[in-house]
Formats: sequence, structure tokens, C-alpha cells
Amino acid sequence: MGQLLVNGIVAGLLLALPALALSLTFSVLRFANYAVGSYLSCGAYLVYIGNVLLGMPLWLAASAGAALFAVIAVGIDWLAYRPLRNRGGVTLLVASMGVAIALENVIRFFAGNSPRAYNVPVARPMRFGDIRLNHEQLTILVAVIAALAVVWIIFRFTRLGRMMRAVADNPDLAAVRGISRSRVVAYVWLIAGMLTTLSGVLVGLDANVEPQMGWTYLLPVFTAAILGGIANPMAAVAGALTLGIAEELATLVMPVHYRMIVTFLVMVALLLVRPWGLFGTRWVTK
Amino acid sequence: MTVYLIATLTLVAMAALAGLALNLQWGMGGLVNFGLFGFYMLGAYIAGLLTVQGLPPLVALGMAMLGVAALSAVSALISVRLSEDYLAIVTLGFAECLRLVISYEGWLTRGMLGVSGIERPFQAWWPRGWGDTGFLLLALLAVLIVYTVLQALARSPFGRLVRATRDDPGVVEALGKSVLAVRVRVFAIGGAILGLAGSLHAFYYSYIDPTQFGPIITAYAFMAVVVGGRGSNRGVVASAFTLIFLLEGSRFLIDLVPGLGASELAAIRLFLVGVGLVVLLIFKPDGFGREPRSALADKTSSRF
Repeated sequence: MGQLLVNGIVAGLLLALPALALSLTFSVLRFANYAVGSYLSCGAYLVYIGNVLLGMPLWLAASAGAALFAVIAVGIDWLAYRPLRNRGGVTLLVASMGVAIALENVIRFFAGNSPRAYNVPVARPMRFGDIRLNHEQLTILVAVIAALAVVWIIFRFTRLGRMMRAVADNPDLAAVRGISRSRVVAYVWLIAGMLTTLSGVLVGLDANVEPQMGWTYLLPVFTAAILGGIANPMAAVAGALTLGIAEELATLVMPVHYRMIVTFLVMVALLLVRPWGLFGTRWVTK
Repeated sequence: MTVYLIATLTLVAMAALAGLALNLQWGMGGLVNFGLFGFYMLGAYIAGLLTVQGLPPLVALGMAMLGVAALSAVSALISVRLSEDYLAIVTLGFAECLRLVISYEGWLTRGMLGVSGIERPFQAWWPRGWGDTGFLLLALLAVLIVYTVLQALARSPFGRLVRATRDDPGVVEALGKSVLAVRVRVFAIGGAILGLAGSLHAFYYSYIDPTQFGPIITAYAFMAVVVGGRGSNRGVVASAFTLIFLLEGSRFLIDLVPGLGASELAAIRLFLVGVGLVVLLIFKPDGFGREPRSALADKTSSRF
């Protein structure tokens, strides 16, 4: 039981960063980025290039990859999403699907379909009583909590965070107060790009680096974000943890390969009962 | 060459049906169905499994259409009262879960082994060697029927209502119509067409397994609708034709460009589909077709 809980928390933390990225972009742009899964895969492959092909240590490769992909994320926004910003959510939704397909196939073109692994030393899992914690899980725990803390500090205590919250709250009012929306949007994409890259690395550590990795995370990430109330970034983290633990506990009664069905059932139940999320406020209903 | 042409035209017919279904759901109704491939796969499996059980193929096809329509309605009911983003993710989740269930519940679906030996409708009617041509005619007939029905539907009062729920659901509610009922019906009709397309897929290949179905089917359908022009059935059929011929034709590039493997080519092709979607949405949002106007709008525009 304790082991399941630990695994669940780690699984939830893995979801937390992309869910945070998704709801961050949603809160500012009011658009659900379906390419978030492909962002994750792209980030993971960029870091793979640094780590395995160029021989950098993983932390260095991850930082370089995150910085690089953050810029790419802003670039994608400039090329694909910005021209469509005034055309409504549905058009952007379909465009993000196009972006997702394009990115995934860039990966397939250069890296092929076979799974890869990062170059990290293998180590024995640590034991705390009955509970086993392997090094990958520990890395995930530390990295995610650190990243979350940084985002939280930015969000709460800096000028940029205030600007982001203002635009998310009421873009017109924010514009009247002299906040440049396009600058805020660029920062949001920078942060989202870094978060997805970092989560790509962690997912790659936990499992493998492969072109499909982001796609399989798409449904859980959306569910986690909706669970928290999609326009409420920090609540997405709570949603991710809840979902991770629920998925792990469900393995008691369901086969492991049906994890995604558990996620789907959670989402359906949520949409029927509390579509504005466990922690969100009621604004999503039409 | 004729064999190749017949095969490609059959693919066109199936893509056109999927495109027409999406055009009803998304083009006319504004409902984003990202799980399109799941409904298509469900149609293929219902038709395939029932036919293998000994049911006449046409009956199996009918059951597939009904079954997919019913499940479409249910998945729409979960989320149509929410904003579009939610319908998109629910349909996508439904499709992925369906693929999992089909892959793992071997007792029902034969899992990864797939279902083989699916018999086509009217197989015995055609003389030897003409089976594919006969099936093509059947598929084209299906496209023609669906096209005619959808055209009639687009011009009917119901079609007007559907477009109105897309453009301004608030006004529709204010006029005393139920947006929810309209959307569920639109999704169900689209589902029936997807069931038909999936059944044809199962009949045509006579073998189905879970790997044949993926998000790419969804992407092609979206491409067909975006190129054809949202709401224009004629445009969607024409663009399905063009797209499939371009995509199929690109296979010949392997011979022309040295050092290009099949998987690289597939990646380039899909990359272009993804980029094409975005570029078209930016520069040609209305596509190359035109949504048929209502009879009244046509009259007023011809008068002035």
C-alpha cells in the first residue's frame, strides 16, 4: 500500500509539469494546446542529443535542451498560433493537432521509431522499510518539486507573475493597465517549453525515449489539468497528484495496461459532475 | 495500373466518407471530433466480427452504423454542454481507450492477432477477378448516397439549425431550440457515417487489427475538411480525392529519391499533412469549396 502511494505520487509528479504547462497556456491564451504531448517528446529528444550524442551529463543536457526548446516553443507560437489568435478556440485546437503531427514526424524522420534510453549510471534502488525508491524516482521527486517551486515563486512574487495573472484574469483590463499581452504570451511559452522539456526528460528516465511517449501522456495530462480546473495553473499540480495516486491504486483492481481507461473514467466522471475541476471555479459551462 | 487505380479509388471512397462525416460534425456543427479514428475502428470491428460470426455482411454493416451512432451520441452527451475543448479530449480519450480494449480483450476481438476472413457484401455476384471493381462500385454508391443525404440535410431546416448552433448557440437557445439535442443528433449521424466507412475498411481489407487504426485517420479527415472548405460536401469529396492521390502517388518518390526509406517517407508525408493543416488554417481558412447557402439566402443574393 505504501509502495503504491509512493509510486502514485511519482506518477503524479511526472504529470504535474506538462499539466502545469498546459493550464498555464490555457489560462493566458484560452486555448487547449493539443501539441503538449509532442512538445514533451521533442524536448526529450533534444536532451537525448545532448546527453548521448554529444556526451554531456544529463543535468547539463536537460538545461541546454530546456533552454533551446523554450525558444522553439515561442517560435512555434509565432509561426502557427499567433496568426490564428483571433479565430476562436476551435481553429486553434485543430491547428495544435497539426503542430503535434508535424513535430512527431520530425522526430520520426531523424530518429526513427525505436525506443532509446539516456546515458545514466545504473544504481540499486534505495529501501526505506518496506518501500523501495529507485534513483529515477528520486530524481523525478527532486526535479519536479524544484521546478514547481520556481514556477510558484515566479507566479506569486514577481512582476512577471503578476502580469501573467492579470492577463489570465482579464486581458482587456490588463491591456488598459499597460501590460503587453504579446510579451506575457512569449514568457508563458518560454516557461511551458522548459516545463515540457523537463518532463520529457523525466518520462524518458522513467521509461524510454520514443516518438509516441508524448502522445500516451496527452490524455492523463489533460485529465490532470481539468481535474485541477483547467484555467488554474497551480491547481493542475494537485490534479496531477490526485490522478497519479488514483491510477496507481486502480492497479489493485484492474490490469496495468488499462491505466489509460482509469484516466478516461476519472475524466468522464469529472466532466459529468464537476466540469470546472475539483479546485476551479464555475465558468466553463456554456 | 488499373488494379492500382481501383485500389486508390476505393481508398478515396473511404476517406471521402470519413471526411463527409467530419464535415457534418465539425464543418457544419462546430463539434471537434479528435477521436474520429476510434469511431471508424469501432465500425470496422463491429462489421468484421459480426460478418465472421456468419451474419450477412449488409446486416453487419447496418449494425455497425447503428452501434457507432449510439456510442457517438453517448460520448457527445458527456461533453457537448461544455466548450469545444472538452468534446475534443473526450472523443480522443474514447478512441485511445477503445484501441486498448480491442488490443487486450482477445476473447472478443482476437486482440493483436486481428480478425481475418471478413467476407464482402455481394461477393458472390461478381465474376472471378472482378471482385475489387465490384467493391469499388459499392463503395462509390455508398459515397453517393451519403453525399445526397448530407446535401439534402444541409439544405433542410435541420441543416440551418445545425449551422446556427455552430455560429451562435446562444441565439438558438433563445429561439427555443435545444442546442444539446441538435449536437447529439449531429454527432450520432456523423457516427453512423463513420461506422459505414469503417465497415467498408473491414470488408475491403478482409483483415483488421488494432495497428491499422490510429490518429492519422483523424488527421486525414481534418485535412480533407480544411482543404475542401468547412461545410462544403462537394469540396470535401473533391479534396479527399486529391489528397489520397497525392499521398498514394508520393510512394513512387522512393524510387526517385535515393536513400529515402519507407519510414522516412511516411514521416515526411505526415509532417506535410501537419504543416499543411496549420498553413491552410492560416492562409485559406475557408478552404477551396463553399458552404451551400440556405435557399432563402440564395434567393436574396440572386435578386440583388
